[in-house]
This record gives sequence, structure tokens and C-alpha cells, in this order.
Amino acid sequence: MSTNAYGESKKTEGFRRNWDNEAYAKKARDREQQNRLADEDEERRRKGLKPRTRGARPTEARELLQSRKQAVDLEGMVGKVQIVQASTAASGQPGFYCKVCDVTVKDSLSYLDHINGKNHQRVLNRSMKVASETVADVLAKLQSLRELKRRQQQQTKDEYSFQEQVNQQQQAERQKRDKRREARRRQRQAKARGVGSKSPSPDADADDMGSAMGFASFGSTKK
Amino acid sequence: MANRTVSTAEAIHGTNPQFLIDKIFRQRIYNSLYWKEHCFGLTVTGVMEKAVDLQAIGREYGESHRPTEFACLLLKLLQLQPDQPMLDALIDQEDFKYLRALAVFYYRLTQPSVDIYTKLEPLYRDYRKLRAFDSGSMQITYMDQLVDSLLTENIVFLITLPHLTRRMTLEDAGEIAPRISPLDGDDSDSDSDSSASE
Repeated sequence: MSTNAYGESKKTEGFRRNWDNEAYAKKARDREQQNRLADEDEERRRKGLKPRTRGARPTEARELLQSRKQAVDLEGMVGKVQIVQASTAASGQPGFYCKVCDVTVKDSLSYLDHINGKNHQRVLNRSMKVASETVADVLAKLQSLRELKRRQQQQTKDEYSFQEQVNQQQQAERQKRDKRREARRRQRQAKARGVGSKSPSPDADADDMGSAMGFASFGSTKK
Repeated sequence: MANRTVSTAEAIHGTNPQFLIDKIFRQRIYNSLYWKEHCFGLTVTGVMEKAVDLQAIGREYGESHRPTEFACLLLKLLQLQPDQPMLDALIDQEDFKYLRALAVFYYRLTQPSVDIYTKLEPLYRDYRKLRAFDSGSMQITYMDQLVDSLLTENIVFLITLPHLTRRMTLEDAGEIAPRISPLDGDDSDSDSDSSASE
């Protein structure tokens, strides 16, 4: 094996130094955490609070920030009656209650501030960084938006087609007319049969009575 | 990332890109309900989703000068700093005019002069209508009108635009070719068209 000027064996795989990535990453993580703790303690000291005496917290990777998929329900409690408890628990207080953090804030803007805030997101194990996207994502999104638009246009076209509306109306009227005609025909047949066989029906009774009294039937003559 | 620029963003015109919107207006956007409720945690595709549903462009509306959704999304784009190919995709698409208007405005705010001229001048052929909140009322404007005001004016919707080098200067320096108006080439065509339609 060849040796270098210092008597060490030459590394044949390359001239670059080999870094122990794992060890340095750990070192960096620890340093970051130390800094963060120091910053937090500094901030607490400025506010006049005790410094936080915490042990080393596991530095797990946080998820990326997510946008909300559905609207925030700010008006859900409008018109409802709530019993306000005398306790100091946050959940019993009037206002907007955040279940995740067990915090109640007094107005909608503060509530939005809270759920957009770092502390709330930290409880949800999210960092304050959003995903970085590429052109491919943008193009795919454009395509899906186009698709959505096309489908919506199709739907509205179905809803507001004038000719379609007219056709439907005509169809409905025709059906109604046919039904009425059919009913009249059946009635006429029944009448003819009734005259022929003299079947005792309540209608026939009523007719007899009516004729005795001098009128054809009760109710309207309109069929 | 509620109000912070992404960490990978580059300085534009020497500063944080969000500073292209003046501070007072920026604070008003940060405090607006739309910003807090709908713009939180958006990515570029999220902004696209919102921009497609836009109803108007402009700066602010109402008696209390609330920032429009357009302004909120513009600030969001400044935060996110989409890269050049993404912007090209947003401007080149023709299906969503408000998305295009948003991207065009962002382009004018952030890109160098030569790029602005080459990218925006072809949009003089886009004659689509846009609703715009302008000086307290809703008005109808057109895409080419918007592009024209972005290329020729210093302040659009009370947003101060960064300095744009004059076209003539760039032409003299040989950085950009003289503009060929779409009307120049097809003079005879338009004549024949008009005679055919009459």
C-alpha cells in the first residue's frame, strides 16, 4: 500500500475528506435546540417570567404547514345560549374556544390569530414552513382547475338550457292532458256500464237522490 | 409562515419582496379577515385556487378601505416568490383571466424591465373584461388596459410600481428589439377582413 508524506496510508477512493454526517447533524440539532431554549428563556426573562427549566426535548421533524381545507366556523354559535361558568377553566369562558390548546379568546380576529399562530401550530406538530412547489405542480393544478371549470360549465349549461326547459314543459303538459283524457274516457265507460248493469254503487245512489231532488250531482260539474 | 417571506426567497429590488407593498397597506392586509382566514398556509397552487375564484382586481373597497382579495393574494405571491417557469405558466394560460391579471401584476412588481416588456406586451391582444375596484367604485376595465397601465404608469391601484426602464433606452442599448405592433403586419388583412364583413 502506498503511503503519503506523513507515513499514513493513502486513501484511494478520493481526495475529499469523509464527514461523519450523522454526528455533525446531531451536533447541529443540539446546538439549535440550545439556542432556541436560550432564546425562549431570554424572552421569558424579559417578560418577567421564570426561565423554563426543561430537559432536552426530542427534536422530531415537524410537518409542513397546511392551509385550511374548510372555512373557519366563526358564526356557528350565533343565536345559541351558553351558560358561562364561574370557574376559571378556559373551556367554560365565553368566546372562541380552541380545543387543541385549551384556550379561549374573545373575538374572531384574535381567534384567527391564535389558530394561525406558532404556538397552536406547534401543538399540531407543524412547522411554519409551507411546502415548496415546482412548475410541474403548477401545471398539474392548472389542468385540474380547467377540468373543474369545464365540469361546472357543463352543469350550468344543463340547468339553463332554454330549449331543454321548453321541451320538458311540453312533455309535462302532454302527459297531463293524456292522463285527463284517459280519466274522462274511463269515466264514460264506467257510466255506460253502469246504465247497462245497474250496479248499486254509492255514486249511483247519489245520482238517484240527485235526480229526485232535481239536480245531477253534488260538487262541481267540472271534471 | 403567517406573515413571513419564505426563507428561500431572494431579495427583489434590494429588499424583502413584501416591502414592494407599502407598509401601511401591508399591515392592513395582515389584519384583514380574508388574509387571516383564507390566505393562511397557502402554497402557489393554493393561491391559484383562490385566484381562479376572484371577482375583481384592485386595491381596496368599501368605506373602511378593506383590502381586496386580489391585494391579499398579491402579497401572498410576494411572500412565496414563485419562480420564473411558474410565472410563465400562470401568465401563458388563457382560461382564468383573474389569475392572469394577478400574475401579470406580480410580474410587473418583481421582474427586470426587459422581461417585463417581452412578457407583457403580447398581452395587449387580450381584450377580456375585468372588474376593478378603483377609487372607491367598481369599474370595468380590460386586460390590455391593465397591461398598458402597468407598462406606462408609475402607480396602479395606488400601488407604487418599481422603476421600469424606458423602452427606448433599452432599444438603444440593444437589449430589446423594437416592438412590432400586431396591427403593423396585418394591415391588408384587417382591410380585407373588414371589407369581407361588410
